[in-house]
Amino acid sequence: MKLEPKCIAGIGGLLVLLIVAGCGGVKPAPPAQPPTQSPTQLPIESPRSASQAAVESAAPPAPSPAPASASPPAAATPAATAAAEPAQRPTAAPSTSETVAKATPPAAKAAPKTPSVPAPATASVAQTPKPPPASTETAKPQPPPPPLDLESLETRLKETKAIGVMTKISLKNQVDDLLNQFRAFYAGKLKTSLAELRRPFDLLILKVLSLLQDSDPSLAAAIVASREAIWGILSDPVKFAKLAST
Amino acid sequence: MSKRLTVRAVTMGVAALLAIPAFAADDAATRKDLTAVIALQGLPCGEVVSVKTQGDNDYIATCKDGNRYHVFVNSAGRVVAEKQ
Repeated sequence: MKLEPKCIAGIGGLLVLLIVAGCGGVKPAPPAQPPTQSPTQLPIESPRSASQAAVESAAPPAPSPAPASASPPAAATPAATAAAEPAQRPTAAPSTSETVAKATPPAAKAAPKTPSVPAPATASVAQTPKPPPASTETAKPQPPPPPLDLESLETRLKETKAIGVMTKISLKNQVDDLLNQFRAFYAGKLKTSLAELRRPFDLLILKVLSLLQDSDPSLAAAIVASREAIWGILSDPVKFAKLAST
Repeated sequence: MSKRLTVRAVTMGVAALLAIPAFAADDAATRKDLTAVIALQGLPCGEVVSVKTQGDNDYIATCKDGNRYHVFVNSAGRVVAEKQ
């Protein structure tokens, strides 16, 4: 009976040691988790972010030379951000091989410049180059986006049970309204810009996606994947004329 | 005779009981459909709580926030939601 409190204390001490040892072992895990989470979200965001990344891919090399010539304390933060941006972009837009090819050069350029930067900056830059290779590795196995099949999408939208009949009619009305806006724009009757027409297009796509994402996620994903291709048709007068004639 | 009547009564009762969930499911689908339509029109509603069918593609929808809408397809083929 007298030994019980000692035993309990001993067991308690062992438990505390185990917990402390367990916490020490858990710390390295979080850096490995973000790359595993990103591929699950990639298929939905990839088409639009692919074009954005393609446009923005020219930007990272420009800011990187400035920090190298700047004073060490000021250079530390831009270099860190410049190195962090390529790490995020490939995870957001790895669907096309072009973006992967464009995303890797900034990381490759950032590495050789680090020796010219003084010691405090190199310490911060030396830690940052690690994420880009991991993100490019995750991006490589992804297949290219499937080609646009408007007829298939139209059929699937008509046949899906995720949207009610009245909602389908209402959506078709809104699609027709948008197409009329484009017709008027290309005819010169509507004084606006393509950038302004992009807003109602995005809004309409979001409406469709919000209706589909819970009940028919595969169709929602197909629409997301075709989003930029559809915009490509709408924003091109020749392609739009062909679409309108059919 | 009494047995036959009993069997018929039971059969009709079972059929009625089976039909109720089917109507309820249909009603739920219509409410969801009209909720989406009203939201697509940008009108305040929240959620349609009751529907009165007036005809083919013609409904009176009562919303959770108290608003009532006449939702129908007009002659031009457009879905209209009129506040009542």
